Amino acid sequence: MSKVVEISPTTRHEGHSKLVLKVNDAGIIETGNWCSITPVRGVEKLAVGKTPEQVPKIASRVCGICPIAHNLAATEAMEASIKCEIPKDAKMLRHILQLANRLHSIALHNILILPDYYIPGTETKINPFTSEEPVRSVAKRIQRLREIGQTIGQIAGGDCIHPRNTRIGGMYRNCSPQAKTKMYDLAKEGLVLAHQQAEFMIAVIRNYHNRDTVDVGGMKVPMPKTLGYHNQGYLATHAFYGSSSLDECPTWDINRFKEVRPWDWYMGEMEVTLEEPKYPIGGTTKLGTKVNPQMEACTGIPMYDGQPVEVGPRARLVTFKNYDEKGTAGQNIARQMEYQDCLYEMIDCIDALNPDGKVVADYIPNGDGSLGWASNEAPRGTDVHITRVKDWKVQYFSMLVPTTWNFATCSAALKGAPWQLAEVIMRGYDPCVSCATHMIVLDEDNKMVAQKLIQ
Amino acid sequence: MLYSEIVIAGCGNPLFADDGFGPAVIEELLKLSLPDNVSVVDAGLGGPHFIFTLLDPEVTRKLVIIDIADFGAEPGTLAKFRVEDLPPGSYRDAHSWDLTEPLQRIKDLIDITVIGCQPARVTDPEMEIGLSDEVSDAIPKTVRYVLEMVGTDYGTTGQHLQEEERQRSSAETCGTGKIR
Repeated sequence: MSKVVEISPTTRHEGHSKLVLKVNDAGIIETGNWCSITPVRGVEKLAVGKTPEQVPKIASRVCGICPIAHNLAATEAMEASIKCEIPKDAKMLRHILQLANRLHSIALHNILILPDYYIPGTETKINPFTSEEPVRSVAKRIQRLREIGQTIGQIAGGDCIHPRNTRIGGMYRNCSPQAKTKMYDLAKEGLVLAHQQAEFMIAVIRNYHNRDTVDVGGMKVPMPKTLGYHNQGYLATHAFYGSSSLDECPTWDINRFKEVRPWDWYMGEMEVTLEEPKYPIGGTTKLGTKVNPQMEACTGIPMYDGQPVEVGPRARLVTFKNYDEKGTAGQNIARQMEYQDCLYEMIDCIDALNPDGKVVADYIPNGDGSLGWASNEAPRGTDVHITRVKDWKVQYFSMLVPTTWNFATCSAALKGAPWQLAEVIMRGYDPCVSCATHMIVLDEDNKMVAQKLIQ
Repeated sequence: MLYSEIVIAGCGNPLFADDGFGPAVIEELLKLSLPDNVSVVDAGLGGPHFIFTLLDPEVTRKLVIIDIADFGAEPGTLAKFRVEDLPPGSYRDAHSWDLTEPLQRIKDLIDITVIGCQPARVTDPEMEIGLSDEVSDAIPKTVRYVLEMVGTDYGTTGQHLQEEERQRSSAETCGTGKIR
């Protein structure tokens, strides 16, 4: 008889989400629902009436980890609507910024997934924060790669978190020849480290997936050879950067896209009938708890050609590089393969950048209300922004963010896996479920905890 | 190095009204010419991802975080906190690090101060752009305090900021009849 188990909140990713799983007597998932529990915020509504310069700044604030992808996708959607071609050197700066962000993101994701894996040849799980070798050297390499990505992003984008250099029509300023040399030196240093890091990660990923059983909270869980397999399609618009409706041959078609409501897709009200206190961290949801993924899910389900699709590193490699490794292992290995691709491409872009070239278009139209879209291949997948701009005012704006594409696809990929490995499958998508946290500085008696007021 | 000896990070989301206080203070600080050993960063919601987990204690000695904080005071009131004062979860990277907190990992290696402003209105999950008057009025005082913390004295900047504070305060008093 089927039982229902809930893992909430899911861990080691950005944002708030949960897994509701219907499992058989052997603990194998029959139906998996992975859903966002971050409330819908309505950025699309807020954007209407704003100027095209304001909206990319608003878009970049919807999430803590993907501001650069949102900023670039929104800026280029505006440019697509007003039909503004930007100069080549501005494009190069944007490419460098985006690739730098991807480099940081892959390295950050390494830290998030490493605790699932073993040090090869041992039964010891990897703690990325340990001071002991060999993990210490790996952690230092990851930090250096993150630092290199952020520094290059800062040079190209003006700021490494919320880039200040991007603008409608190009970039505010080009970089100096010295800054170009610095980016080049950093990218070359990063390339050596990326090779080493990718080799290490691929070794530990293969080691993990080749095991007969793996440990989850003290439970020995069988490792299926098809962990995370699904038969959905893939969507990627470019091997590195993206596409837009201004392109001669756009690689995304708005007519092939439609969105359905979560209640068409997720399970209805159920009660938790399986509880596992040993599951990390703090056990699964208590027996008897009512769950209702249909009503709790906070995202729509985007479809391409009538079905949910996977976006992200594997989708890019499948679409543009004939990659054929499936499942969670294939997905994580694809991400490591992007390490070096990302730096080779970045070096090409830095080579092509002329620091004396102009970076702002000569003419920036006000827009006639035409529909424009732009996709940006964010670290975790295709980020599509759609807009209409008329007389320098945004009339319509919509964001299709990568993890929204992946929610339903990942739910399908959960089927057939032991429920204890559901989070491992989910982490393969490097999810980003945007969130906002606030400080509440009150103790249990509702009294202020501050020690010193500033006068 | 990406981050220098002193790092000033403005945290929060300008899409949720007063939650934009941190980035708004950073916007003001970026208008000033600060010494090379000071990095000023608009962290948005990405502080844990992009800054707190990337600081090198060999280089960075001081971290100042500017954010809103609910400590039950009048809106616009400023308070200074240490990491120990913060309740669990304040700067937890939602769920990313096995529910540990990046600030806890570095607090013994880097001098961390959090400047918190009591918000009047945080609209999460509804989006609204713009700070309340009370929180907006706290910006000059915060800038002045940060300049004192980093040891920057331009001779007149502090005075101008104090003057701006007084003007804002008197304008509000005239406008609402309240005495603060």
